[in-house]
Amino acid sequence: MKEFKVWLRYTNNSFQQVISRRALALIFLVGKCLRILMFLMFLNYIFKKSSGMAGYTREQIIFFYLTFNLIDSLGQLFYREVYRFRSLVVSGGLDFVLVKPINPLIRVLAGGADVLDLIVVGLVGGITLYFGFSHISMSIGGWFVYVIMVINGLALATAFHILVLALGIISTSVDHMVMIYRDLSSMMRIPVDLYSSPVKFLFTFVIPLGIMLTFPAKALMGILSRELIVWSLVFGGLSLWLALKIWTLSLRHYSSASS
Amino acid sequence: MKKYVAIFAVSWENEFVYRLNFVLWRFRNVVRLLLTFFLWKGLLTSNSNVFGYSKSEMFAYVFLVLLVQSLVLSAPSADNVGGEISSGDLSNYLVKPIDYLKYWFTRDLSSKILNLVFAGVEIFFLWILLKPDIGIVFRISSGVGFAIALGLAVVIYFFLNVTTKFVAFWMPENTWGITFLTLVLIEMLAGVIFPIDVMPVWLKTTVQFTPFPYLVYYPIAILLGKLSGWGLIRILLQSCAWMILMFFAAKLIWKRGLFNYQSEGR
Repeated sequence: MKEFKVWLRYTNNSFQQVISRRALALIFLVGKCLRILMFLMFLNYIFKKSSGMAGYTREQIIFFYLTFNLIDSLGQLFYREVYRFRSLVVSGGLDFVLVKPINPLIRVLAGGADVLDLIVVGLVGGITLYFGFSHISMSIGGWFVYVIMVINGLALATAFHILVLALGIISTSVDHMVMIYRDLSSMMRIPVDLYSSPVKFLFTFVIPLGIMLTFPAKALMGILSRELIVWSLVFGGLSLWLALKIWTLSLRHYSSASS
Repeated sequence: MKKYVAIFAVSWENEFVYRLNFVLWRFRNVVRLLLTFFLWKGLLTSNSNVFGYSKSEMFAYVFLVLLVQSLVLSAPSADNVGGEISSGDLSNYLVKPIDYLKYWFTRDLSSKILNLVFAGVEIFFLWILLKPDIGIVFRISSGVGFAIALGLAVVIYFFLNVTTKFVAFWMPENTWGITFLTLVLIEMLAGVIFPIDVMPVWLKTTVQFTPFPYLVYYPIAILLGKLSGWGLIRILLQSCAWMILMFFAAKLIWKRGLFNYQSEGR
């Protein structure tokens, strides 16, 4: 409960910061919406011109992309602070976080929720819901599994971000690490089935971005077996547990440089 | 000239200080190439020809993007100019006998050449690993056109980049917003993810009136032989026009910005 109150305080501060710089907020929002719209347009156009994409309909491909944006934006909404972690490590500023009577992970992982992403999540979430209901499925059971899988996707995103932080403490190279995660996850803007077998295997069983970003949509479409749903939930839980262990280990390597 | 040679040398060494960061930056470029490569490989499995691109042409395009990107879009100035203006660190340069724009252009060049060397090595290994079916029919006119277009792209990007960063003279906290918007536009409209000619005709025509396709798409299209004769000359002239326009825009905004500069934070 104490952690939640602190998180709310951090979030409140972060939101106020964004609101105080309205022009910047507007530019960011325009950029984010433009990126989503342009890739959507590209997908739509490519579908029109080609004879099909791995057997998926145009609506399904669009739904995959909307779900990708929803989970991706949720990750950015909660874990924006990870992008600023490097300066804390190289300046020794992490010392001040570690001495406080609260789990330091709360501060370095979720200490700066991004209000702009909240707007994007709201917009994309609304469109996904409307589009999903009108073109994919109206089954309540299907949507229930979809929501569970989105939460599982967020758990995996959390695990990835914690790993980035842990590696950041060891190597001080957070900036590129987190961008590599973003680059890799951007490969899931299209369904994992579109990639050739080795890549498909890699993104399902080694780097579980396929589970994180494309399984929810597949679950709603009814093309994901029960075994895979259960397996991905177990995988999500295990990844989170493992990431937390690595984070604890990495803290022992923190050398408080420059402080 | 001597001082810029020294800046070039120092900047070159500087790139190797944070080695892991450098390796990861290169790794990111490889990941991006793989992203585009596998995207098109997936799409071209069932369709041997999409948007007028054969499989071998599309793979050639993807590999050339890595090369061109390394030369054109690699620029330390992108990460520093805005911050130096906002923090007042620009004053340190203004009191020195160097031209600020030439200083950053020299540093950018050093980074570009280093990146180009590494991109060459990466392309070699990826070529061996992926064994792509690549077909480029090399013509002297295309090669010369490619080299000119590439040179122009480097200069256009530099002035475009610094011009957007000069926003910091008026809005010190908004530099990152403009940078983000420019990055999004480059990602989509420069031809980094997909060639511009896969877009609808109206959009492709509109994009021609922006500086973005001249950065990546047109140099590659020239080398692939998509442009020749009058079409090639027209694009090179348009590139020149953009370079001149961006040069004067950067100079004008720099001058106006300096009048507004108050060395805040110093």
